[in-house]
Amino acid sequence: MQTVSLNSVGMTLDACIKCNICTSYCPVSEVTDSFPGPKYAAPQSERFREIGLPLSEAAADSNSPSHGRGQSPDASVDYCSGCRVCNEVCPTGVRIAEINARARAHMVATQGLSLRNRLLGRNELMGRAGSFAPGLANFILHNPLSRRLAAVLFGVAAKAPLPRWHHETLNRWLARTRAQRLRCERKVVYFHGCATQYYEPFVGIAAILVLEHLGYEVVVPPQNCCGLPMLSNGEFGAAEGYHRRNVAGLAEYVRAGYPILGTSTSCTLTLKEEAPELLDLEDDAGSQALKFATWDIFEWLRDGLDQGQLPSDLRPLNRTEQPFILPYHAPCQLRAHRIGKPALDVLARIPGLDLRESHARCCGIAGTYGYKTEKYQIAMDVGAELFDYVAAQAEESDSVAAGSVSFTACDSETCRWQLEHGTGLPSLHPIELLAASYGLYDLQARRPVDGN
Amino acid sequence: MLDLLIIGAGLTGLFAAYTAARAGLRVRVIAKGMGATHWHAGTIDLLGYLPNGEEPVANWMHALPQLPSSHPYRLLGEETITKALGDFQRLTAAAGLPYQRAHANMNLPVASASEEQTSHNLEPDGHVRDATPGQNCQLISPVGAARPVYLAPTAQLAGNLEDEQPLVIVGLEGMPDFYPALIAENLQRQGHRARSATVALSPLTRRSDNSPLQVARMLDQAAAQAQLAEMVVDVVEAGERVGLPAVLGLSAHTRLLTLLHETIVDRGSRTSQSHDGPRAGLAVFEIPTLPPSVPGMRLDTKLRAQLARLGVRVEIGMEVCGVRATNRRIEWIETETGSRPLRHRAHNYLLATGGILGGGIRGNRCGRVEETVFNLPLSAPQTRSQWLRPLFLDRQGHPVFQGGVSVDARFRPLDQAGAPVYDNLWAAGAVLAHTDPIRERSREGIALATGYAAATAVASGL
Repeated sequence: MQTVSLNSVGMTLDACIKCNICTSYCPVSEVTDSFPGPKYAAPQSERFREIGLPLSEAAADSNSPSHGRGQSPDASVDYCSGCRVCNEVCPTGVRIAEINARARAHMVATQGLSLRNRLLGRNELMGRAGSFAPGLANFILHNPLSRRLAAVLFGVAAKAPLPRWHHETLNRWLARTRAQRLRCERKVVYFHGCATQYYEPFVGIAAILVLEHLGYEVVVPPQNCCGLPMLSNGEFGAAEGYHRRNVAGLAEYVRAGYPILGTSTSCTLTLKEEAPELLDLEDDAGSQALKFATWDIFEWLRDGLDQGQLPSDLRPLNRTEQPFILPYHAPCQLRAHRIGKPALDVLARIPGLDLRESHARCCGIAGTYGYKTEKYQIAMDVGAELFDYVAAQAEESDSVAAGSVSFTACDSETCRWQLEHGTGLPSLHPIELLAASYGLYDLQARRPVDGN
Repeated sequence: MLDLLIIGAGLTGLFAAYTAARAGLRVRVIAKGMGATHWHAGTIDLLGYLPNGEEPVANWMHALPQLPSSHPYRLLGEETITKALGDFQRLTAAAGLPYQRAHANMNLPVASASEEQTSHNLEPDGHVRDATPGQNCQLISPVGAARPVYLAPTAQLAGNLEDEQPLVIVGLEGMPDFYPALIAENLQRQGHRARSATVALSPLTRRSDNSPLQVARMLDQAAAQAQLAEMVVDVVEAGERVGLPAVLGLSAHTRLLTLLHETIVDRGSRTSQSHDGPRAGLAVFEIPTLPPSVPGMRLDTKLRAQLARLGVRVEIGMEVCGVRATNRRIEWIETETGSRPLRHRAHNYLLATGGILGGGIRGNRCGRVEETVFNLPLSAPQTRSQWLRPLFLDRQGHPVFQGGVSVDARFRPLDQAGAPVYDNLWAAGAVLAHTDPIRERSREGIALATGYAAATAVASGL
């Protein structure tokens, strides 16, 4: 439940000059009439919501003069995907996406949450449940019959790119290879997030291999889901529980001055900013300390690069002389960090790598958005800009003379799955490319070169 | 390390980045959000009114000496301004969005031939050939007033009010932000033969409240283009040129312009009621709308594409929150992020953050007017009661809008004593003092010419 009346998000509302730039770039309102656009859903509707007033009992009583306060004038704000492109393009600094997230939380608080959205918010629970028997879980989740059932019963889009459980979680890999892990004085903490733990442990493995190659011991403490899936489904109360547990669990490392590095741009964004801001924890000392200790892994690597601390033994990714053409998409979640494109800066050091930066606004999936039946097609239509870009790079390239496009790269997991779904090409985390270039990691098999 | 970090992604910043990158500099652009290009009419207004003038400027080259000696145009001189415009014309022509003078060229644009066509106007030395250099034309504003404009994209050229051909202003039912009857009436009052008409968007879209951008995206589709052409030609009478809102496609507008022109000319010759001979110009033109400005977005898109080709990154969502300077040199600047500030280092910095509208200058409730990035000294009045004159439409404009950063001949910001504040800081565009770009109708001219000059000055110092 929200309690604060004046907050950093609501205060930006008055900065809106109604210039329409947000609506011009909103990828969702471009492809559907269900969402009128950021300007209408956030700064304009917000005037009717009486920002920040708590949903008191009096407000819920229809006889009370304050009835309806905090409610949205219409339900269209639920069609905001939360991609934050509006924040990015806004020339006056209105926190449009956060205004929408708060409005959605108000709707959830008054109208309740669907079972589907409750499930989608609990990817940590789902991940853990499936990891006990990944083969069985994959069979249950991924056969056509159950996908149809899930679509009909819960509203989870039948074609949406749900991930597959990996046969081994990151934690089990860490336990199995404990003897080989680097132990030393210089330490970093790795925040893996749920997707790396259960579905893509190889991304975490690549990160650990690179960090050890740089001479750091990688500490992987017990951790929770960052809470973002719940925040974006309007379930603020449960998200706060997760966030507070992460703050408490990571506190000793933060106090010791270890950087908290993440490969999932949405998890790191949540630790840095989304959770403290949306949950009104900007005055919470623990949240603030974690905010300033958290880094996107490439943000941290770029810092090392700038200080000349990144080993230069980078090798070409192709054995042949051909350039390795790689369409790279900086996901919205990364751009919302406002740290530029650190993966581009670092990967530019890999010899023979021809990086092609996509300027597409969004891949469409926006976390859990594209998994919802009513939003699946919107997500695919939004992503078309990116899929077309990748296809154009593939068409342009000549597999004989100039190399070919066999991968895409993107920092965010759901975006990678959407990219794979939309382009048919495997999509890598940039850290996998860096690990491969250091000779530590096999890109095709997506595992360490030593076979572990 | 970067040679030049440009702060601001409006026309000033993007064109300065283009100029510097072509001179071989390593350049990056950062900005808080998308630039003011999205708010302007998409034309290049060079100098429409002198500071005290009621009458529009007919020829900016003739008017230049009448500007105060501190005006940025006087620092630049005619030759530099002309060079900047020539570079801009070459850039836009190569990008397939040619900008021309309404007098110089009234040929039919054909999508595939647009590049070739413009290159005809270039002398071997690269200068644009021109019989009446400096001559402004008069285009039509969104309320039907005459706007003094120097360069216009092909889509707007045929709206020149110096041409006496009668006008029909066609609105779109289903796009409320355009007022054909108001425009036509205002044009009549100014002595032009004009009337208005409306065509319904309902065959094309079920939506009844379309923004200019929504219509433009819809009109990128070939089927919608054909349908609109059929509907428009039905309301046009022989011998009329047709003014439509500037929504005729975001990426494929040249095709629609050509189609509209051909359909109208074809119908005109079949009914053969017109006694006019064959005309040189297009039969159709665009009138700018309320924001979002489609012509502005077309220009912004082309500039960014050109910069990407030159390897220049434009990163938005970055607001400067810290600056470090030692010995009159900027060492680094920091932008705010979701966590710790992000540090940017470069040999040189160009301030292109705009004026009050663009966010480069901010006034607070106590009457202080501040430059938002480096807190540079401003010429603006620092007392709230002196910001504005009593009359809203005062012919002298308002002091607060004329205030800004004073610069030397190389576009380095100056302190009160007249010395450069920093040796590696430059400023260009609407943040500059001694100009009132909105009132003067010089926004884009100031942006291009000063952006060009500052970037050139940086390049020459390396």
